[in-house]
Amino acid sequence: MMKRKNLTGKKAITVLLSTAILATLLSGCGKEEAAASVVVDEAATEEVVTDETVATEEVTEAVSEAAESTGPYYDSGSDVESIVIDAAEKGKVGNWGLGNEYEVQALLSKYGQDTAYLSQAFDMDGFDDDSISLASAMTYNELGLIKNDYEGGYGYADTVSFIDMNEEGVAMLEDNLFCNAAFAEENPNTVKAFIYASMKGWEYACANPEEAAEIVYKYGSSVSAQHQAYMAGEVKKLVETDTKGVAVSEYGKMDEEAMQQTLDLAKTYIKLDDSAAADKLASLTLDEIRSTSYWEEAMASEGELGAPEKAEVSIQLKWLPQAQFMGYYVALDKGYYDEVGLKVNIVSGGGDIGETTAVYSGQVDFGVTWVSNLIAANAGGMDLLEIAQVYQRSGLVLVYKLNQ
Amino acid sequence: MKKKISALKNKYESTIVWLIGFLVIWEIGAYIVEGTKRSPENVLPHIYQIVGSVFRTELVNGSQTLFQIVLSNMGITLFRALIGYLIGAAAGYLLAMLMNLFRPLEKMIFPYLMLIQMIPILGMAPIVLAVTKDIDKSRIIIAAILTFYPVATNTLAGLKAVGPQRVELMHSLAAGQIEIYKKLLIPSSLPYVFTGLKISAPMAITASILVDTLQGGGGLGCILSQSLKHATSIYIFWQIVLFSAVIGIASYYGISLIERIVNPAMKKRGSV
Amino acid sequence: MGKKNPYRKERILSILYPAGFALVLLISWQTQILHKILGTDTFTLPLPIRILTIMMDNSSDILTDVAATLIVALTGLLLGSVLGYLLAVLATALPRWGMGGLNMASAFSAVPIIAIAPIMTNLTKDVSDDPNIRSMVAKILVVMLTCTVSMSTNAYRGFIELKPFSKDLMKSYAAGSWTIFEKLRIPNCMPYIFTALKVSVPASIISALVSEYFAEYIIGVGRQIRENIVLAQYATAWAYIITACLMGIVMYGCLMLAETIMLKGRRT
Repeated sequence: MMKRKNLTGKKAITVLLSTAILATLLSGCGKEEAAASVVVDEAATEEVVTDETVATEEVTEAVSEAAESTGPYYDSGSDVESIVIDAAEKGKVGNWGLGNEYEVQALLSKYGQDTAYLSQAFDMDGFDDDSISLASAMTYNELGLIKNDYEGGYGYADTVSFIDMNEEGVAMLEDNLFCNAAFAEENPNTVKAFIYASMKGWEYACANPEEAAEIVYKYGSSVSAQHQAYMAGEVKKLVETDTKGVAVSEYGKMDEEAMQQTLDLAKTYIKLDDSAAADKLASLTLDEIRSTSYWEEAMASEGELGAPEKAEVSIQLKWLPQAQFMGYYVALDKGYYDEVGLKVNIVSGGGDIGETTAVYSGQVDFGVTWVSNLIAANAGGMDLLEIAQVYQRSGLVLVYKLNQ
Repeated sequence: MKKKISALKNKYESTIVWLIGFLVIWEIGAYIVEGTKRSPENVLPHIYQIVGSVFRTELVNGSQTLFQIVLSNMGITLFRALIGYLIGAAAGYLLAMLMNLFRPLEKMIFPYLMLIQMIPILGMAPIVLAVTKDIDKSRIIIAAILTFYPVATNTLAGLKAVGPQRVELMHSLAAGQIEIYKKLLIPSSLPYVFTGLKISAPMAITASILVDTLQGGGGLGCILSQSLKHATSIYIFWQIVLFSAVIGIASYYGISLIERIVNPAMKKRGSV
Repeated sequence: MGKKNPYRKERILSILYPAGFALVLLISWQTQILHKILGTDTFTLPLPIRILTIMMDNSSDILTDVAATLIVALTGLLLGSVLGYLLAVLATALPRWGMGGLNMASAFSAVPIIAIAPIMTNLTKDVSDDPNIRSMVAKILVVMLTCTVSMSTNAYRGFIELKPFSKDLMKSYAAGSWTIFEKLRIPNCMPYIFTALKVSVPASIISALVSEYFAEYIIGVGRQIRENIVLAQYATAWAYIITACLMGIVMYGCLMLAETIMLKGRRT
């Protein structure tokens, strides 16, 4: 059957093949981008003496000058439209997908671009190595990692700038508090007590972000203390400012207009293959995804809410334990939950079994999710109910490098 | 005897040479990456950097160093892997017995055993979670589901490898069904069972790491994905890569060791 | 004609039994008896008819994803198997050095795919400017690694575990080691190759699915499963899960067919 070959020939093939594979693996890393990385390196070592802190207002002012490119990245002061169009045409807009992409798609549509994007890992390596030039980042997390140089950070400092979804009018509301609609109906006192104590926790956390960060760290978060502190400061801004930049003093308030904008954008950009779910999504109203009554009654009370029907409850976070959720940790640490007669267990998230599934299956009682995820879940057949809106504006930005 | 020992020594020698070769290639790669990438530790760090990170003493979260975090989470994962493995192995063994006893059952479900392996755990997980209402129980059950197949198939093959003549002979000696299993089938299928056990031991560990990532809580998979998300040092990820290879191999040799302890006794009993 | 052939009866039974089981399963699934047994609901485990409707409605999209996943799985399977086979040849020709290689290969297999996939994605960043191509290379490398191990260990056993005295017989004919290899070891190895493939084929699909979770370019059955599970679109996710299972069944069926043809006339 087989032709006569000598054995050494076969050995040679083995060696060749394995080296070829290794070579492909390694050579790739050496090629290309030598020039680009040199530029970046210089930028990083220069320590940026100029005081050009690129405020978002400057960027979004849309100074439509015919920007003459002086490097591989974008000039500070270039208008948003030109950046979005350039990155989209190169196919270098990144997002994590998995339900986080709708605002980015809305932005791409706003500037007449196709809604395709690159899948961004949950790190900023793709942005770092220039395979993504317009990368998604949360102000309180990834943006901090990009700018700062503590462990896990990339140390870009002020050599990057970003596009803010709120200012572009495509903001969708994020971290909220929800439970099963049936659970809320059966345990109204528990729900109100939980809202009351949690919002008290948020109020304290926003008044004392440094202390809140330390509390989260104390509860075993493996996010570094420095990044935790940065995060707490940024989260405070999202909780206390709305999409228009106006200060909000009522923690957990469900702003009608912002909720409606979120629902409208969700209906446009959530694409469901299941025709039954798609029909449900198209007809979904705000009343089917949220109820303001629990929050209103909880906030109107002075913590006197009657005995909770269920005293031991758990809450599933949307992500890893970190200052993003500091309000709940503070409420736990300061005994606010005890005061209203609740024993609370905080369950961390970040896996593929999302918070919606965990709440729906009855594994936990409450959850923190993004409004768009809740909308998709209800369209799919869950019956979840938002009971408080903690983040008042979108924390999502698209970050890009600046020419130096 | 002497020859055997020297052969054994050679085996280890060559493994060491391969290992060194691999490390050299890794280091060359790491050197290239270091020269061209802005954050080389995310792509391919030097081996000494990974080893060095094991000995770092500063605290990474509230109370633990990098290595302590990896160790404590490894404990959680290995514990779940062990329980999942035991359940999976027992289920696989029993299923093989049942299939051997009732041939129609074998015909009916054997093709589907392979299929169960093909269902992505992400599909299984919500169902298991809905049944158990507890993520840790779900993790153990899924790890068991992912590991029972090699034990089941190998045990069945072992039971079948006993020729019909020998079973006939036992029958002619007026031995009952239980007697036949006890004296003949179970002992002589043992090497096959161990083959299955050896294959599924490392699988139980990788499966356990995989199911860790389904949700938060503890476990190597959890801190692995946290590390990939840069929520903590990237060296946690690299440590897990190294350690998972080591534990996987160790589990294989661990079962081999048990086999060597169990088998001599079995041989005596098996030769009826 | 009409004569009862026991062998044929056996064959018919071996098709009838699983088919019957499938039928019972499907009926109890559609009538929600299965849901009662498992204690779950039609949201978590959607009904077959709904899954089927989604599959029909989106058949062209699903086919695109199937094609992407199959290319990765098959290329990885092929490369991994060839590499594993060559490693086994090396181990047989130079047992002293080859064994170490086999040990290294099994060490690789002990690293979970979820750790290997992100490494590969990072290492292949500069392979191509087209994210589709570089993601594909990364995914193929992951599948290749998982398939190398089962082939190398099984093929090695195939080369070594010869029939008693057959090697001595060959030697007595003054056959050189290459002749022994060609005439004895390679044919002896054939059934072992199929044993290896029976493990690798399902493994290649699963690792292709998982590697898609981490790939830069969004395509493939695995990625769709993850997107839909995370978004709580269980019916759609199940449409893709069933698709993945069908891919596995078809590939496994092809393998069985190839085995029957290739090993015809052999006693197994």
